[in-house]
Amino acid sequence: MLLPLILPLSVLLLWQIATAREWLAPQILPSPLTVFWTFVDLVTSGDIVEGLAISLRRISVGFAIGAAFGLSLGIAMGRSAKLEQYVGPSLRAIAQVPSLGWLPFLMLIFGIGETLNYVIIAKACFVPITINTAAGIRNIPVHYVEVAHVLRLRRSAMLFRLILPGALPTIFSGIRLALGHAWIAMVVVEMLADTAGVGYMMTWGRTLFQIDIVIVGMVVIGAIGFLMDGGLRWIERRLRRWAPVHA
Amino acid sequence: MRAEALLDTRSSLDIQAVSKSYRVDGKPREILRDIRFTVEPGELVSVIGASGCGKSTLLRLIIGLDTDYEGDILLDGRSIDGPTADRGIVFQEPRLFPWLSVEQNIALGLDSSGASPAEVKRIVTEHIEIVRLNGFARAYPHQLSGGMAQRAAIARALVSRPKILLLDEPLGALDSQTRAYMQDELLEIWRREKITIVMVTHDIEEAVYLSDKIVVMEPEPGRVCGIVSIDAPHPRRRGTSKFSALKDRVLSVLVRTQSAASAGLVRSHPAAQGGIARRYG
Ligand SMILES: Nc1ncnc2c1ncn2[C@@H]1O[C@H](COP(=O)(O)OP(=O)(O)O)[C@@H](O)[C@H]1O
Ligand SMILES: [Mg+2]
Repeated sequence: MLLPLILPLSVLLLWQIATAREWLAPQILPSPLTVFWTFVDLVTSGDIVEGLAISLRRISVGFAIGAAFGLSLGIAMGRSAKLEQYVGPSLRAIAQVPSLGWLPFLMLIFGIGETLNYVIIAKACFVPITINTAAGIRNIPVHYVEVAHVLRLRRSAMLFRLILPGALPTIFSGIRLALGHAWIAMVVVEMLADTAGVGYMMTWGRTLFQIDIVIVGMVVIGAIGFLMDGGLRWIERRLRRWAPVHA
Repeated sequence: MRAEALLDTRSSLDIQAVSKSYRVDGKPREILRDIRFTVEPGELVSVIGASGCGKSTLLRLIIGLDTDYEGDILLDGRSIDGPTADRGIVFQEPRLFPWLSVEQNIALGLDSSGASPAEVKRIVTEHIEIVRLNGFARAYPHQLSGGMAQRAAIARALVSRPKILLLDEPLGALDSQTRAYMQDELLEIWRREKITIVMVTHDIEEAVYLSDKIVVMEPEPGRVCGIVSIDAPHPRRRGTSKFSALKDRVLSVLVRTQSAASAGLVRSHPAAQGGIARRYG
């Protein structure tokens, strides 16, 4: 229960000692307490809430678009070997290019603005979700697929009774991967090419030489990413309540 | 009137010179050779033979999961082409979907039937009782024993009331008490529904207890080496001398082929094949 807390608490302690003994200049490494009060300031002033609201809206919309396309194409590819042969290799090649590698190119096409954010996030979600959905479906045991054929399941039962539940664990690791990538990509885009969101707040803190703001940004970004992943794991566990519990 | 209508629904099955090879390491490996037998409408036929002689493969061909074979399989005189609603199968493994409860798994058997949700509910509940899984409707497959899972699979195959039911060692995983109960239940279903049944088993006693006819197979490649008709009326009594005599007859066909095969004497049995040809050719 307490085990996962040991590491962060040690880091916090080390940080406190480092600032107390002034191993680094306070301008470079502010004390944990300073950072905490900056956090409180940013919350009460509404800066961080506003930035987060923008970022969370971006990630939700971008994720929804990317996931919708990714699931559809992934299901189609998982069911059709031919389609997989057509687009599978290209997709896997594209997956090798980090989403941010597309940034300069996409900036030229879409310019700087909301569209760019959505495109980058959706793309970051689309690729892993497509690949994992297709792989998850192809790996459904052939024994079950034969049962579906013999019972001549209709399309809807095929999808909701066999394909989606059968591929669920793989689809979910794709979704978690996607959301993690997308969140990182979004923050970087906000830092480099935007004027709003938590990423921008960090750039703003850096230009003001307020490292405490930057650190607050880092912690908040980490915490939100952690919570999103935890939320997804929780949803997956709920959907897999049928599974035997491993100790 | 009713009897006649039911009579019409029975299916006959004609296996005509069926051969099947799988490709293993690029080379064809013969699994079934020149299988011939007929299942009359409403008959209960057992297929018995050593493990690996191609019994499961034969059922896959009959159900229509594999169409890559030589020869003909005729259902009511028509060549089969993929799975249809009038054939049901219980595989050697239960193959329940682990993410669905027992009742949801069984309901899959009615998915293509167009039955209303209320009808589905009623039929599923009825069959849960038939296979003695009362109280387990909401359980998930991992919470069942092997025998219980296989009974759920039997219910899944039965709900759509197929005209011909294929069973691949369906009672193999059951304890002897449940097994005897399920054998009688199977007979009851067979009689009530007037269905045609082809059942693979490795249990001679079970075959003699249930079947009208026993197809005995031998391995490498899988061939029919004899067909024993059982004319005794149901219910059959296991302890009687007549029952033992029938068991001995089936056993003698099995043993003959095994001793011949182990001695490396003959690869096929002209006499047995001739006998079948006379009867069904
Ligand atoms: N997909 C396959 N590819 C190659 N060989 C197979 C395949 N399926 C089954 N076989 C082989 O066919 C033979 C018959 O198998 P099977 O029909 O399962 O026998 P039985 O049910 O009588 O035990 C076995 O030797 C098995 O190894
Ligand atoms: Mg078998």
